[in-house]
Order: sequence, then C-alpha cells, then structure tokens
Amino acid sequence: MIRRRLALVGAVLLVAACVERLAAPGHCPDYCPTGQITVVDTLLTTSINRDSSYRGYVLAYQSPLMLAANLPGATDTLDGRPIFRMNGYGARFRISTVDTSTGPILGADSARLQLYVVRRDTATHNLRLQLYRLPITIDTSTTFGSVAAPFTDSLLRTVNIDTLLAQPGRKDSVTGDSAVVDTANHRVVLSLKLDTAAARYIAADSGTVAYGIRIAADTLASIAFGKDAFGPALQWYLRVDSLGMPVARTPGALGARLASFVFAPPPAPLDSTLAVGGVPSTRSLLRVAFPKVIRDSAQIIRATLFLVPAVAARGAPADSFVIEARSVFADFGAKSPIDLRLSDTTVIHVGATDTVKIEVTNLLQAWAADSTHPTVLVLLPEREAQLFGEIRFYPSVAAAFRPTLQVTFVRRFPFGVP
Amino acid sequence: MTHRTGWIIAVLLVGPALTGGAMAVAQDSQFGIRGLGTPGRWESVRSRTTGGAFGPFDPLSPLMEASLADIGQLTATAAGGTSNRDVLVGGTATSLRATRFPLMGVAGPVARRLAVSVGFTTYLDKSWDVTLRDSFMLRGVLQRYTDEITSDGSVADIRIAAASRLTRRIALGAGLHVLAGSTRMTAERQFDDSTFHRVQQSAEVRYDGLGVSGSVLIGVAPGLTIAGWARRDNRLRAKVADTTSAVTDLPLMAGGGVLFAPSPSARLGASVAWRSWSKAGADAFDTWTWSAGAEFGSRRMPIRLGARGGQMPFGPGTEAPTEVAGSLGTGRAFAQGRALIDLGLERLERRGGGLTERVWTVLVGITVRP
Repeated sequence: MIRRRLALVGAVLLVAACVERLAAPGHCPDYCPTGQITVVDTLLTTSINRDSSYRGYVLAYQSPLMLAANLPGATDTLDGRPIFRMNGYGARFRISTVDTSTGPILGADSARLQLYVVRRDTATHNLRLQLYRLPITIDTSTTFGSVAAPFTDSLLRTVNIDTLLAQPGRKDSVTGDSAVVDTANHRVVLSLKLDTAAARYIAADSGTVAYGIRIAADTLASIAFGKDAFGPALQWYLRVDSLGMPVARTPGALGARLASFVFAPPPAPLDSTLAVGGVPSTRSLLRVAFPKVIRDSAQIIRATLFLVPAVAARGAPADSFVIEARSVFADFGAKSPIDLRLSDTTVIHVGATDTVKIEVTNLLQAWAADSTHPTVLVLLPEREAQLFGEIRFYPSVAAAFRPTLQVTFVRRFPFGVP
Repeated sequence: MTHRTGWIIAVLLVGPALTGGAMAVAQDSQFGIRGLGTPGRWESVRSRTTGGAFGPFDPLSPLMEASLADIGQLTATAAGGTSNRDVLVGGTATSLRATRFPLMGVAGPVARRLAVSVGFTTYLDKSWDVTLRDSFMLRGVLQRYTDEITSDGSVADIRIAAASRLTRRIALGAGLHVLAGSTRMTAERQFDDSTFHRVQQSAEVRYDGLGVSGSVLIGVAPGLTIAGWARRDNRLRAKVADTTSAVTDLPLMAGGGVLFAPSPSARLGASVAWRSWSKAGADAFDTWTWSAGAEFGSRRMPIRLGARGGQMPFGPGTEAPTEVAGSLGTGRAFAQGRALIDLGLERLERRGGGLTERVWTVLVGITVRP
C-alpha cells in the first residue's frame, strides 16, 4: 500500500516536473543571441510598369443593385435612374381555380408596387421618389437619352419617403402607401399603391409594364434599390370578364424581368491613367518587377502600394467606396483570371485627392511563397457597378507620380551561427 | 534475466541516442546563449552527488573509459533531473524550470579483459528562450516590438568506449565520440502596430563533430587510485538545410583525479579538469574545474556529498564566469543489487558579467544490472 502511494506521488511529481519554463527577458548584448532580426525597409520606385486600365467587367444591368442619384456637381449633375419592366399575365386570366376556363382581362382596379431600398444615407433629408411609366421596349441597351422623354412627361406618382416614414405605422392612409423598415438588414421596403390610372393593364401588351424612378432630396440624393429577390414586385388587382360579369381577381405578384439603371453623365473615356470603379466597372492592371532579393530570401512583413490620384475621386459624395488589390492566376491582360483567395483593400472618399495607400502585404507574401505566381496587381472596386464612384491614378509613365511599392522585409535570421 | 535480454534492454535504452532521436540535455544556463551552449556534465547521479569527484572512477560516468574495466557485469543506466533556476540580471529576477535526461548508457564485459560501453550524454545544451522588448524607427515612426528568440535542443555526445585492465594496478581505456544533435530555432517579432505582420522564422540546425579520448587508471596503493584522462574533439559543424552555417573548433580537455577508500564504508575523491574552450571563438575562455566528494556507508544505501567549482566557458567581459555547487545524495539497491536508484540534490550558483544564476536540481538515476 505504501509502495503504491509512493509510486503515485512519484508519478505526480514527475509529471509536474516536466513543465518547462525557459523564457527569460533578454539583456542584450551580453545575454542575447549574436544573431538579431534585421528589418529592411525599401521603396521600389520603378518596379511597377506596363500598367493599364480596362472597362466593362460589370454593366449596369448586371449589377445586383439599381442606382438612383441626383447629385448636382460643379459642372454637371450625376443623375441615376432605375428602370425596370414586368411582364404581365397576358390577355386572359383563369376565372376559377377548379377548372381551366379563362376570361379576358378587362383591366386593373389598382396595383401595388413593392420596392426595396437597400442603401440610403440617413443624413439625406426630404427624400422624394418619382415613379414614371416607361415604354415597355426598354432593355439592357437602353440609355439615359433614349428614355429622357418619358422621364419628363410620364410621371405617375411622387412619394416623399421621409414623410411616409414619419407617418403613424409608416402608412399613409390617403395615398395607401406604406413602408417597413428592416433595421437588421438596413433595408426599407416601400409599398406604393397605384390607382387605376397609374396601373394600366393593357391586354394588347400582355399586361407588360415598365417603370422608371427618379429621386430628389435636399442634399445627398443617392440610394440603391434591390434586384432579384429584393427587386421590384408588382401586385395586380385585376378585373376579369366572367360570362359578361366582371369579377375581381388577385393573382400572384410579379417580379421584374428587367431591372437596370441609366445614368448621366456617361463615364469619361479611358486614357493613360489607371481608372478603378464606375459603371460599367473599370479595373487596372499593374505589373510588378518583384526583386529576387526580397522574393527568395526574406519575409515580407509589410508592403504598401502608393497611388497618386490624377483627379479627385468621382461619385456620390456620401458613397465612399472600397477598392481592392488582388493578384491574378495568369497575366492575360484584361482577361486575367483573378485570384480570389487574397485581397487587400482601402477606402476611397469621393472628392479626395490624397495619395492612396493600399496595404498589399498579403499579396506580396503570396508571391514570395509561390515563385510561379504572376506578380501582377489588379485594382478593382470591391462592389463592381454598385456605386458610381471612380478614381483615376497616375500611371507608371508619369515619372513624378507613378505608383510605388514600399516593402518592409526581414532578412533570413542567421540560424546556427554561435 | 539472461545476458541476451540484458543487451536487448540496453539497446532499447541507448538506441534512441544512436539514431539521433534522443533529447539529451544538461542543465541550461544564460551564459551559454552567446556561446556554443552550456557544456554538459558527464557524470552519473552517483558521481554528480559527490560533486563530480567520483566521475573518473565511476564506470557509469562517461567521463573516462578506463574505469569500465572494473564494471564486472552488464549494466545499464539512465539519469534525469529537474532544475529550478533563478536568473538575476540588471535588477530583474526570472524563475525558470527545465527537466532533462542527460545520461543514458550501457556497459559490460565482452571478454576476460575487455569491457565496452555505448551511450550518450550531453555535450552542449542549447535550449534557451530569450524575450526582448525594444523599439526602432521604421517608416518615420517609432515602432515598438517584442522579440522572442528560442533554441530547443542539444548536442549529444554518443560514445563508444572500451577498457581493459592490463594489470592488477593499471587499466586503460579509449573512446570514440560522435557529436550529433539538433536545435529547433525560432525567431519571432511582434510589432505593436499590427499593420506590420508578425515576423516568424524557424530552422532546424543540425550539428556534428568527432572526438577521441583516452584514459588510465592506476592503483597506487591498496585503497588509493589515481586517474588521468584526455580528450580531443575536432570541430562542431552547424548545418541549416544542408548548408554549413558555422564551424567552431572544439576544446582539448584533460583531467585527473584521486580516489581514496580507507575502509569499505568510506570513499573520498577529488578531481580536476582543464578545457581549452577559448578556441571556440569570442567570449570564450579556457576553464579549470575542481571537485571533491565522499561516499559513506554500505553500497546498498550510501550517503554521498560533494562540492565543486570552477569556470564557465562562455560569458561576456574579460573574465570567465564562475560556478560553485554543493550536492547531497543517496542510493538504494534492490533485487540483490540488480537495480539501483540514486537520488541527489544540488545547489549551484553561477556568477559573471553582472548575472547570477542560482539553481536547485533534483536528480534521479536508475541503474539495472540484469
């Protein structure tokens, strides 16, 4: 018994004794290793070359948002207008749910249009929304100019969103409009009632309707509407002929078959500068001559890309936007497949002309780890064609303002040297 | 237990060392950080608790080979120790702890006048961990950072030795030493400013070297024995990823001792050693070490005590750091002397260059004679 207890105590002591504690404060140089961590900071002023910009990666109709803006500028006004089209039910509609007999659609008593505002600036006051009827011929090639006329003479409704949100229960008992605020997802769901005059169900057009939206506000009128699952939806309240008797029918809500936006002024043509952002979205490629001394025998601990704006960043003042630097799997110019695994980002403030710094440490570390990786940086907006913002940087041919890389790296530690 | 079984146990004990898988480490010291490391003590627990004075005469201590001649039967031994070390430097004190297994070996007669031994001990301990807080200007801003540089490992001395008692008074021995080992080294820097990524580098440094040694044991008179030994190692080569990063000359060593046994229950010993560590580079010194100790009582359960002192080979400044230690221990034989457990306690103090280390070490040794 005593021997067993002694063995147990011995085992516990042995386990406790095996706890190592070797870390001690260094008192250098006497009691520190001779080798030290050596940090080098270098500015690569001529390592970025053969840079260029390309436009058209994401077009307006491909954007997951419809952008609406009305922002007067120094020379022109940024005017963004969502446009969307809903196909109808055709000329006839089923009378009963128990058989397949149909009757001609006589018209609509009314309709209710649901819109998701997925981005808005809470500093915007007196935000007004104007709904226009557009030709049903609108498509992905529709331009701002081609729908300028209906946006002038086909006004259906005007809704003051701030007023509606201030109503009890966010419902306007006069107009029938209502709003629901989703604070969790920062969305406002507008439900606009369209009367018989506004909701014209034209059987000859199969009930297809198209609408456009303009917005206005005291300041900073810039919002975004959702698409697809959060896109416009139209609920018709139809009158259908049933053996000479008009009966009311409420079919399911229809989503938009086309949802896009038009805007003016159009983006400035690309020039020698490095453009990033805008609609259609623009990307820039920067090819980096990555020094072997860094690539092969050093650990990069910080790398910063410096870009000097050639002009102030454009866009909606409230909509600062994020641009990201990414690498590519292969350098095929404009069609280079982007490596989505790593990115480094920075925020661009509209109107700013300060030098932009992007920390690209992750990317350069990846280059150092894989010598087969192309040393090409792609600058692109984080959310392509979801903001009007665009910035243009001086290219490498502008010697005084060219893009530069500042790299901080650590040389290989002299392991094994006493 | 058969002779064959005994050798199997011995191989199992020593095998890891021969394949490089062993972690043989001695007692660490901050003095070894800037130098090659902290030299190991080539002593069994029995010898160490006599201050090391019995080292030249103890067949289970890998200091000398000639003493193997009297081993008599196949014997395997291993030792372990736990150290609690207080480091005082620059007005700060740090408590450190480490557990090491600095010795393992097997020895036995293979012919009437020939005994051999194989085993390992620590040649240099290279385990340490240094943290440092500092700052420097980087990108025009004072950047504060914390460094941690660590080394974990050692250089083992794998010895193959043979000894023969030529006459009743004289025994000779010789050994071949293979120095092998590795350290896992890391260098890390964490900036306070998180935009600078963490510096993290590591490498495995492998070491190799060769050495030879010879020794003699002379019975001067009944109960009085003297010993002498010498050893020459060539160099310690450090390789990182198959590239030689350093080649350091290793010292010539020599020493001697005297053992006096006035009665079967009393043994007194003393020894001295010299090592030319100064050839190992800057901040290295030749060292003299001495020890004196005694063992009283029956061999079944003796009482041992000892003292030692001398110089440390590495340290800052112009003078070698010094160390002094006192030790106390005992042993217990079991199974008609076929198994022995040795226990020891050592108090050690090292001084030099503004640094003082005080160490308590608990030692445990196991010896099996199958």
